[in-house]
Amino acid sequence: MPKVLRDMPDTSGYWAASWTICPMPDTHVICDAPIGCFNLVSTAVSDYTDAIPHIENMTPSVMREKEVGGTGTGPAVQRTYNDLEAEGLLEGKHLIVMSTAESEMIGSDLSDLVTQLKPGTTFYFSDSLSSDEWAGRDTCLQWLWENYSSDAANSMEIEPGLVNIIGPTYGCFNAPADLHEIKRLIEGAGGRINMVFPYEANLSDIDQLAKAQINVIMYKEFGQTLAKTLAELKGQPSLQAPMGMMETTAFIQQLGALLGTQDQAAAFVAHEKKTTLQPVWDLWRGPQGDWFGTTTVGIVACKTYTDGLKAFFGDELGMPIALAASRPVKVGEMDNEAIRQQLHQQAPTFLFGSINEKIYLSEAGAKHTAFIPASFPGPIVRRALGTPFMGYSGATYLVQEIVNLLYETLFNFLPVDAAYAQTRGGASMGMMGPPSGTPSKGASGGPPPGTPGGPPLDADSQSAAEDQQQPSQQPGNLPWQPEATVALDAALEKIPFLPRISASRELQMKAETLAQNRGLKKVTADLMAEVLAIQGA
Amino acid sequence: MTQPIELHSEELHSEEKSVGEKPTGAKPCQLHPQSMCPAFGGLRILSRMEGSHPVMATDTGCLYGLTFVTHFYGARKSILAPQLGTAELMAGEVVEGTRAAIDVAAKEPGCELIPVISLCVAETAGLPEEMLPKKVGNADVVLVRIPAYAIHSHPEAKDVTMAALLRRLGQPDGPKSPKSLVLMGEVFPADPLMIDGLLRRMGVEETITLPGRSISDIKRAARAGAVAPLHPFYKETSDVFRNWDVPVVGGAPVGITGSYAWLKSVGELLDLDPKLVNEVADEEKERAEAIVAAQPLSGKIFVTGYEGTETAYARMLVEAGAEVTYISTSIGQDPLVFPDEMWLKSRGTKEVVYRKSLEEDVAALDAYPPDFVLGTTPFASIAKERGIPAMYFTNQLASRPFFLSGGMAATLSFIHQTLARSERYDFMQNFFEPATSSGSPESSTAEEELAHA
Repeated sequence: MPKVLRDMPDTSGYWAASWTICPMPDTHVICDAPIGCFNLVSTAVSDYTDAIPHIENMTPSVMREKEVGGTGTGPAVQRTYNDLEAEGLLEGKHLIVMSTAESEMIGSDLSDLVTQLKPGTTFYFSDSLSSDEWAGRDTCLQWLWENYSSDAANSMEIEPGLVNIIGPTYGCFNAPADLHEIKRLIEGAGGRINMVFPYEANLSDIDQLAKAQINVIMYKEFGQTLAKTLAELKGQPSLQAPMGMMETTAFIQQLGALLGTQDQAAAFVAHEKKTTLQPVWDLWRGPQGDWFGTTTVGIVACKTYTDGLKAFFGDELGMPIALAASRPVKVGEMDNEAIRQQLHQQAPTFLFGSINEKIYLSEAGAKHTAFIPASFPGPIVRRALGTPFMGYSGATYLVQEIVNLLYETLFNFLPVDAAYAQTRGGASMGMMGPPSGTPSKGASGGPPPGTPGGPPLDADSQSAAEDQQQPSQQPGNLPWQPEATVALDAALEKIPFLPRISASRELQMKAETLAQNRGLKKVTADLMAEVLAIQGA
Repeated sequence: MTQPIELHSEELHSEEKSVGEKPTGAKPCQLHPQSMCPAFGGLRILSRMEGSHPVMATDTGCLYGLTFVTHFYGARKSILAPQLGTAELMAGEVVEGTRAAIDVAAKEPGCELIPVISLCVAETAGLPEEMLPKKVGNADVVLVRIPAYAIHSHPEAKDVTMAALLRRLGQPDGPKSPKSLVLMGEVFPADPLMIDGLLRRMGVEETITLPGRSISDIKRAARAGAVAPLHPFYKETSDVFRNWDVPVVGGAPVGITGSYAWLKSVGELLDLDPKLVNEVADEEKERAEAIVAAQPLSGKIFVTGYEGTETAYARMLVEAGAEVTYISTSIGQDPLVFPDEMWLKSRGTKEVVYRKSLEEDVAALDAYPPDFVLGTTPFASIAKERGIPAMYFTNQLASRPFFLSGGMAATLSFIHQTLARSERYDFMQNFFEPATSSGSPESSTAEEELAHA
């Protein structure tokens, strides 16, 4: 049975290589591509992932029918090269000619052609028909080392205290803030930053990687092969960038041990707990922390983030993890099809994900779920340095995010006088009215507030609602058919815990108002089904 | 991988790059062609229709990029595709995989249409139409071939897509609606309402806007009294209508003279009461003239998008008093655009460039320094680096009414607002890149101003 993909969560080796090489200002890439592959990578998507107007050091060969149908792409690449040279755009640049899915499709191998271009020009086979973006980055980093490092790297003395960071590249979600935090942690532990490769590097300086004492790898998805090569060459140990409080503490301690700065590292951890991390402790001790145990979290992101968020929210804060799946999808993990089905069935209170998951929530009408961007694809600016997910700052930022979204949820439950909606002219009476304080029907009627065993969380907003209850707008305490109650219960089960009480009231009122409008004596199952259909519940 | 290549060039435009009048001096290199991935033009149309569940036959990188832009500009719609990696391509599983994805799409609630969008890799491998089902359950399966290597701009892919949909789904048999008009073109939602309102006063009984959200509109469009392409690149689509004996209205309801002429042609083609038509056309002309009199434009403007609608926008701006010295677009030169080009060149436009590249736009920036640029994102960013007010044509102009006097008012007031804040562009450039400032020598940096404050 052929495999069917739904909404690609990760892209190909060609994108990976472009995103890995192009951040280095002393490179220029000729992509052997039709106009579309060029535009999407260099402009249309990078505008909205990395928030850069366009990747300037990338030029397409512009494959057309002629190239695809007969001549091959050699002449087009040669022409592109000549024009770039004529414009002086290759001065001081390492030129790399890169394959794309379509050039691979027509079997275009330009490894001979590049030897006739300016000295040092290389051909990178991006394996775009087979390789995903994560493996693609790993391969590309290793290839850069193999092709651009020199013998000088072998004899270079290691300088104690220096630390490399391998990763990020373009297209890594939230990279600037995470990188900023990892640098801060390294320096706090007693290290000094040597190279951030490739994000803040020049390709000409690649030998300098050999000078560092330690490599920190930003992501679990790529960079390990290069780190292993460096370890074989120079014995550099490597550490993985941390997420959550425990991993971050261990990271700082390990760095201290490797650098011989144990005391500084220990003092840094102690100081961080009183400063950067203090809000986590404060929110834990405050009323906010009481919500965590009943607030469910779903995560769909790269493996680094999925593991890290799961460890922090699930293991450290004790929040129930409703679903967690990493991308690219591994055997046994939920693919997009499975994620979509689960979100249609029951969405968690918080969902960390990409635009794909956001679309599935839209389809499900899951308006009570708060979506938090945690992955590409999807247009989202994450260029500010203050939004990290990694490290201690990340722990604080994440807790702050979810607490604020809980506040937002509560705010949305608070009643607003219906008269304002009427002055706007849009809302029809009854169906859009304020939450009513209609008493719960109990076992024989409507559902109990909240979930089984749990007292209402939004006690304040509930009493506020009751205070504002207006007799004239009461639905009228109609009896409910048992089947109608079952239907309501089932619908409420799908709604995250926190908004459930309010939704319960709202749905009851809508059903009873509709029943009254139709002159029914009780709320029937059919009527309830109709209300739920209108609601998209 | 050297499988037999199956090209479908008979369905595709393949004209070479063509350029209008060039200025004297060296011709700039054409390194960075400017168009959204052509296939996106098709995807946008196909993803927005209610009941349409697209299947994309392509590689993963293409799928990722096109899904990204579709989810940004098209619709909140899940998109399916067969996995087409090296293994599947070597095993010749393009058809089998595509059929499997079609079966999944058919299970979506309310699925009526499954457009199969065949892109570069699948087109190169070969995806024969006869190997795909025509219908699965309630859904029509329609193959749309829009490989980027053969269709060079995304407006033209819209044309290819509409033509494919109409050819397959159009229902020309049955009672005609002689007093109805098809408006062809993706426009701001208020535009068709305004056009419809005016046309009804002339005696038109109904307008159908394509592409839109309704599949049934595609079916019944074949029985309309006439079709009016609002944009000049619906070439194949117009041919489809001509084959149904549905006449095509030339021009577009843009600006003062354009709208006037267009309303009169619609009246003639639909055989409307000339008295009513004249009344409405005269009234509309007066309104448009009043708008221009109330907010005349001045200054030099570049219209350099990649939407294929650039000449129409330029005409409106020129009528309002602006100098549009330079126009460039992603579409190829075509008789449909020729009247606009002639009109513009007789009113001061120095160059109209088709299939443009970034380098040509930048060269024009040097040749005819503008006061305002409506461009592609790379070009707009380059203009801003020089402190020139600039915006992304697609996002800013497509999000406003444009047609008839109402659209003219909206667009002109937007241009006025932008020009009125042009010193912001200077300020930002001076703040971030004072060293590269090309402004007057006496202009000071933001820091200097602060220091003297």
